[in-house]
Amino acid sequence: MLNAVLGIALAMAFAPVLSRLLDDRAGFLLALGPFAAFVWFVLQVPVVAAGGAVMESIAWVPALDAALAFRLDGLSLLFALLVSGIGTLIVLYAGAYLSDHHHLGRFYAYLLGFMASMLGLVLADDLIAMFVFWELTSISSYLLISFQHEKSDSRRAALQALLITGGGGLALLAGLILLGAAADAWQFSALDAEALDGHALYPAIIVLVLIGCFTKSAQLPFHLWLPNAMAAPTPVSAYLHSATMVKAGVYLLARLNPVFGGPDGWGTILVVVGAATALVGAVLAIRQTDLKRILAYTTVTVLGQLTMLIGTNTTYGLQAFVIYLLAHSLYKGALFMAVGAVDHATGTRELGRLGGLIRYMPLTGAAVALAAFSNAGLPPFFGFIAKEFKYTGLIEFGPLGWLTAGVMVATNALLLTAAGLVFIRTFLGRQGRYLREPHEVSMPMWLGPMVLAIGGFILGAFNNLPEVWLVNSAVQAVSRGPVEVHLYLWGGITPALVASALTVALGALGYVYRYEVRHRLARWRVFWRISGDLIWDRMLKRIFVFAGTLASNFQHGSLRRHMTLLVLVASATALFGVLSMAGSFAGVGSVSPLSPAGLAGCVLAVGGAAGAAVMKGRLALVAALGLSGLGLALFFLAANAPDVAITQLMVETLTVVFLALVLRRMPPMGVVGSRAPRVRRIHAAVAVLFGLTAAGVVIAALSQPLPGDIAAWYLANSLPGGHGANVVNVILVDFRALDTLGEILVVALAGLAAATLLGAGRGTGAARHGGRAEFDSVFLRQGVKPLAGLLLLVSLVLLWRGHNLPGGGFIGSLVAACALVLLALAFGVPLARRLLRVSPAWVSGLGLACAVGAGVIGLLGGGQFLTGGWAFPGGLPLGTPLLFDVGVFLTVFGAVLHMLFRLLESEEA
Amino acid sequence: MEIVAALTVGALVAIGIWLLLDRNLVRVVLGVVVIGNAINLGVLTAGRFGSRAAAFVAQGEVPLQAANPLPQALVLTAIVIGFALFVFALAVLKRTWETHGTTETDRVTALAEEPAPDLPETPLRPGGPA
Repeated sequence: MLNAVLGIALAMAFAPVLSRLLDDRAGFLLALGPFAAFVWFVLQVPVVAAGGAVMESIAWVPALDAALAFRLDGLSLLFALLVSGIGTLIVLYAGAYLSDHHHLGRFYAYLLGFMASMLGLVLADDLIAMFVFWELTSISSYLLISFQHEKSDSRRAALQALLITGGGGLALLAGLILLGAAADAWQFSALDAEALDGHALYPAIIVLVLIGCFTKSAQLPFHLWLPNAMAAPTPVSAYLHSATMVKAGVYLLARLNPVFGGPDGWGTILVVVGAATALVGAVLAIRQTDLKRILAYTTVTVLGQLTMLIGTNTTYGLQAFVIYLLAHSLYKGALFMAVGAVDHATGTRELGRLGGLIRYMPLTGAAVALAAFSNAGLPPFFGFIAKEFKYTGLIEFGPLGWLTAGVMVATNALLLTAAGLVFIRTFLGRQGRYLREPHEVSMPMWLGPMVLAIGGFILGAFNNLPEVWLVNSAVQAVSRGPVEVHLYLWGGITPALVASALTVALGALGYVYRYEVRHRLARWRVFWRISGDLIWDRMLKRIFVFAGTLASNFQHGSLRRHMTLLVLVASATALFGVLSMAGSFAGVGSVSPLSPAGLAGCVLAVGGAAGAAVMKGRLALVAALGLSGLGLALFFLAANAPDVAITQLMVETLTVVFLALVLRRMPPMGVVGSRAPRVRRIHAAVAVLFGLTAAGVVIAALSQPLPGDIAAWYLANSLPGGHGANVVNVILVDFRALDTLGEILVVALAGLAAATLLGAGRGTGAARHGGRAEFDSVFLRQGVKPLAGLLLLVSLVLLWRGHNLPGGGFIGSLVAACALVLLALAFGVPLARRLLRVSPAWVSGLGLACAVGAGVIGLLGGGQFLTGGWAFPGGLPLGTPLLFDVGVFLTVFGAVLHMLFRLLESEEA
Repeated sequence: MEIVAALTVGALVAIGIWLLLDRNLVRVVLGVVVIGNAINLGVLTAGRFGSRAAAFVAQGEVPLQAANPLPQALVLTAIVIGFALFVFALAVLKRTWETHGTTETDRVTALAEEPAPDLPETPLRPGGPA
């Protein structure tokens, strides 16, 4: 089965090339693909008819339990035969129909692609695989409908079909996932009806699946895309929109009928929706004057009837479903192809212009006659049996069935009238007015209709053939329990026969008085004003306007409004979390005592920041911000975090330097905050709200006990495992060195990016020569040299001792950077660069290399990446964590200097 | 102490957001620094302060009530990364000023962004009230 799907897909891949090489003869070669598949399926008929099923499965996404599982039972086989058989004829037909089209190869590719996906759909046993094929048919249908994309009608129809079937597909996906979850099975064959009957998700599953099926099979009120899809070339209409794709929805309904077809609403919904669709379709069909549109609306009718028949779930109803499905595919495919031939031969499809064609096109006419008889449901054609069984099945269904049967009599009478229009009006009677002399079409074009039409006749006349080989197994696959299948043309005088006779009589009358009927129908203006297409267009326009409004409201381009919204949403989310654990705030009681230094730090931090928030002067801003950072450093010191405090101190120093260097080039700032007082108040409120939220989050965190004994583990293992007394540093360079590696990588990258931006200012070129000091002071120059030397020395000491005492790579590098900052400011960048000898960017890269190298040494030592290795030559503790710390030192040092040098150079010009 | 720290975090965050909401990009950059500081303090606070000694195990024995070293390690790197981020923001600020000649957020947007070609009406007014 997989080979059948893949074979057709392969034909698809070669279609454009073959078409270019062989011109319009490529169709004969390409048709071999589907034909081979057809033959294979025919060979499986005995197996399936005996009650067996052919299975194939290959793993697809094992983690999700999704497999490309295929299963060939009666229902699948029936569909597979239709898809591949009619597909073969369509490929031949398309070659002749579009022989002069310059994109014929592309058309073949789309058509064969569709065929492969449709075949996959009806064969798939896995829910998810089925869905994927389902969507593929929607997409290939989109491509086929829009094949003549120069026409705006085609584009619109294609988009409409895609949106409706695609939207239904989404619902179906949800439904299938719920179904799989509820039944705990992802294969159709494994679904257990008993387990699902009373399940809580049952109604939701049914509604979602039904939306998917109804959109695909053009049931009311989603029917409007199908007639519009007739904008596609006729082979597409004949194949997708009558014989195959639109039946995908019906297929799925039938496939799931054994599972859902219990006593609950399923049957009633199907009968009511199906009957309503059938009636509406038939009425609309009679009103059309374009042959193709008549057929399109009769297709809607038939789809409605098929849906209805599944819903009856009676012995005769299900038999009628299978027979009707087969009969319709045969005659509707034939009629569509014949209409295409008529169009091809005469240049028109308008009823008013046609007539008397049998003289010019005898073969096509004969095919249409046979197909139309089957369509009309006249004996001994297959369509007759379908109609008889339909009535019997509906009568079996009960009171609702009687009512529906009445509706169906009217519907089928209208169908009969439509069949009359298609055959009698077109081929008999007086000659029509043609733009050019009609001619019989070529062999591939009449072959398809003829084969299908004769097939419909044979199946009807020798009805024990399909009964034994096809219908029986298909009916068993659709029904919940075993069903006795017996087809017959003559069953005695039954209510069904009476209804059938009534149908024929009404239909014949309808044809004779067709102008009268149309005239009467046209009077119901109230109904015709409700145009589905108009509603659709308006809805689509509204959606576009809505999307535009939504986008412009959220993508307004104002940073402050984005921030406001972001902060409000974040506050709401966090506050919800904080308030939901409000009950456990009792744990906050056990806090450490206040310390004066800590308090002072807090006051400084908040005071400085508050000053920065309200002051206007640029220098004052820098000073206030620096004060805030220093306060924080003081607090860290008071909280027994010396390493953090020193880092904060050094970073704050550098922050002030950078800020001062950049801000002096900025314009003075006028107002603080927004100009409008109202907006200022809103901003203040938002800020306060988020501040409260943040404090609440921290307090909420404090109210929870510290999980586990992580701190104790680090304290206990630092010296024995990491050979270091400074636990913070050991964590950084040993225990969690991989994190640190990532962090210094970020620093290096940010340094590169920022340096590029900083240095891209005016005249970097002039900075190369000369270069002058920022502060031209003798005292500074004299004092800086020894100070910078001292700082560099201190930084190295800090780096070395960092493993055991406050210090380490980060702190050391910041101190060293400060030293070079002093030099660069006092003597200019060129001197600092000369002193460094290599570019700071290289230093940064070297640092990263050191850090990674330290990790690789651990790897070579047999451990994992970044495992620490130690050696004690002469009592001196040397280890890869030390090398790693050197890497950290060089990376941060290089990154900071890279940024600073570029900034200073860009300003010197 | 923890409660005071938590309140400090709240105050700093509020000030930081106030700065971020300013119309001038200079203050927005300062807001980034202040919020970064606040978050560092928050992380450290979540690790508790109830210690009498820093996290050093010099004599091979763990001091009683040593500080929690893990948040300290986290915050230490966070400070350095925060600094790199700050300089990057500063660089963007500098470029913005050099390229567009303004540091007001909305005006930069109006200058730098073109309206979507498929929307005829432009909801964005340069320099309009936020």
